[in-house]
Amino acid sequence: METLYFWPEMPGLSIVVLLLVTMLFLWIAREPIHKAFEALLEGTSGGLKKMADSAKQLAEKMRERDRKVLLESGIGDAKQKLQEEFQRVEMSYTKHLSNYPALQRKLDDSISKIETDYKDCGQATPEAPGWNEAVASIAKVQGSSGDRVIEKMLSEIHKSAVDGEKRALTELRNTTSKRHKILSSMAPVWKSISKQLKEVGELVGSVLDTTNRIDKHMTQFEKISKGDQDSIDTLASRANKLFIFSSIIMVVAAVGAFVNFRLIALPMSELMNDGSRFLGMPVSDFSALVIILIEVFLGVFIMDALGITNIIPQIGTMERNKRRLILYASLFFLFLFACAEASLGVLREMLTEAKTAANQALAGSSAAVASQGASQITVTGQAILGFVLPWVLALVAMPLEVFIESSQHAFRKLLILLVNTFASLCRMLAFLIEYIIKIIIHLYDAYIIIPTKIGSLASNRGKLQNSGAGR
Amino acid sequence: MDMNNIRAFIIIALSLVCSACGDNKRHETAICALMDISGTYADEKPNVIKIVKAGIVPQMSPGDSLFFITIDSNSYDEQNLKASLTLDYTPSKANRQKLAFATKLDEYAKTGGQARFTDISGAMMLCTDYLKKTGSGNQSIIVFSDMREELKEGFKRNFDENEFEGINIAAMNVIKLSPDSSDPKLYRDRLASWEKRVLKSGANAWEVIIDPLKIPEYIERLR
Repeated sequence: METLYFWPEMPGLSIVVLLLVTMLFLWIAREPIHKAFEALLEGTSGGLKKMADSAKQLAEKMRERDRKVLLESGIGDAKQKLQEEFQRVEMSYTKHLSNYPALQRKLDDSISKIETDYKDCGQATPEAPGWNEAVASIAKVQGSSGDRVIEKMLSEIHKSAVDGEKRALTELRNTTSKRHKILSSMAPVWKSISKQLKEVGELVGSVLDTTNRIDKHMTQFEKISKGDQDSIDTLASRANKLFIFSSIIMVVAAVGAFVNFRLIALPMSELMNDGSRFLGMPVSDFSALVIILIEVFLGVFIMDALGITNIIPQIGTMERNKRRLILYASLFFLFLFACAEASLGVLREMLTEAKTAANQALAGSSAAVASQGASQITVTGQAILGFVLPWVLALVAMPLEVFIESSQHAFRKLLILLVNTFASLCRMLAFLIEYIIKIIIHLYDAYIIIPTKIGSLASNRGKLQNSGAGR
Repeated sequence: MDMNNIRAFIIIALSLVCSACGDNKRHETAICALMDISGTYADEKPNVIKIVKAGIVPQMSPGDSLFFITIDSNSYDEQNLKASLTLDYTPSKANRQKLAFATKLDEYAKTGGQARFTDISGAMMLCTDYLKKTGSGNQSIIVFSDMREELKEGFKRNFDENEFEGINIAAMNVIKLSPDSSDPKLYRDRLASWEKRVLKSGANAWEVIIDPLKIPEYIERLR
């Protein structure tokens, strides 16, 4: 500070003179300095505001893109569901309705049989009309004429009439018995018809169920196609739910993969370890990791070939025979890996036992080695674990697909949040800088207030004088 | 994609692969155990060998190295290297090597002999030579001694400025001498002067381990 003094021996005077000189200079340079501050304001605060606006626009675009992707995914899902239902209908037609002509023929046959039986039942022997009344009349006449010849003739007529009636009765009984037999033979046919009709009813019922489901999916499809906010919210909520759920499963799967890694890493070092490293880990560890990843990929191939997932679209669009080939090849390799891991599990236990024994020998301990039985259980357990874990890991393909699909929305949302936060920060910073620069300008004006006032007074006086001279 | 882009892509890919591949050496550990066989400490021989066998050898991993050197009147001599071990990367072979090393130590324990002078510095310098040859990423010297040096007349043992660069040094099973019991300051000052000396010569750290059970923890910290 003292270096700035005009007269170091008189600091007070020097400070006063310094203040006056700077005041005068800043008053003269007021306009360019104000412009410089305005430029600084425009450059910093204005730039930050523009940046915030751009970030906001970017976030809006991303939100719009996310909305579109969600809609497309929702429409795709609905289409897939519809397609599945139609496939189910097609399968139902192929499987059940192909039997329908045979069923119909059976029904026709049964109905024809019933018709024939019905006709048979209708064929009854007609009874002679009026015979009963004639026999009764003759019976009354008998014995009243007194003529023996007539009496005998009437008696014969009466006898033959009674015989005829008896014959007719017997005939009637026989016919009725036949009809009963025919009717009793119709019962199984009725039952068969009832059963066949029940089958038809079930078929129709399943078709109706499928139709109802199709109706439901169609309604949903139409609703999503409209793209209203409710549909977007529903789709977003569904995507979030799936993301959380699949993330939990993926974490569990990662732990499973870690267990598998621990199981095979040590025996792998026995098989392949030359002291080199890859990506910071021993080659044996890296190989164990690669084996686990291959098992997961084989699982993806299997699930895609089965049509359960669609992570690799090329597999889904392949011909049935090729898909089957991929399925069998993947299953075969997975089986080989499972067997290899089971044997590695056994080797691991052997190595661990050898190490324990060596350490005990080094320590000079005579501690009893674990019993043979316990060792067998451990070996079997590790072998089973080694065989089962690859198959379990192969199932990860399903949650993996869900995770990949749902994570897109989740990450986009996170990105939007980050961009919006950045925009808010920029805006806040711009606001702060703007006020700081304004405060500096006010302080600057306050510092040169004395020359400014003197200047304005002088200016006013000059104006007054000019106006007085003018009059 | 034109040829230049393809070339650039290949160069980047190759450099990434090369950087990803690495040598195991910097992840390996080399330990040098020094055993004092001079004066009263010679009686500690069975105890020290037991600690080395049960405390240090089991902690060695495939690829690690271990040297067993004695401290006598003239320690800077190849004859003082009584046993050495560099473990194979295959765990089963490494186990067999450990057992063979232990047998060598047992055989050495049976031999007699007591040195008149105590050339700790010479043994440490010999250790440094062996440790540096291994190129291991983690190196350590564990000294089993009372830490009182007595050099023959005419012997010079001056450490270079970077003598122990990258090496951790620990004093283990430091027994107290008769004057130490009457004045513990002597014992403490002796250890402090060693600490000062080795740190001045570039050692990573100096440590005094009292409990042999802490050795596994110490070796784990080295890694």
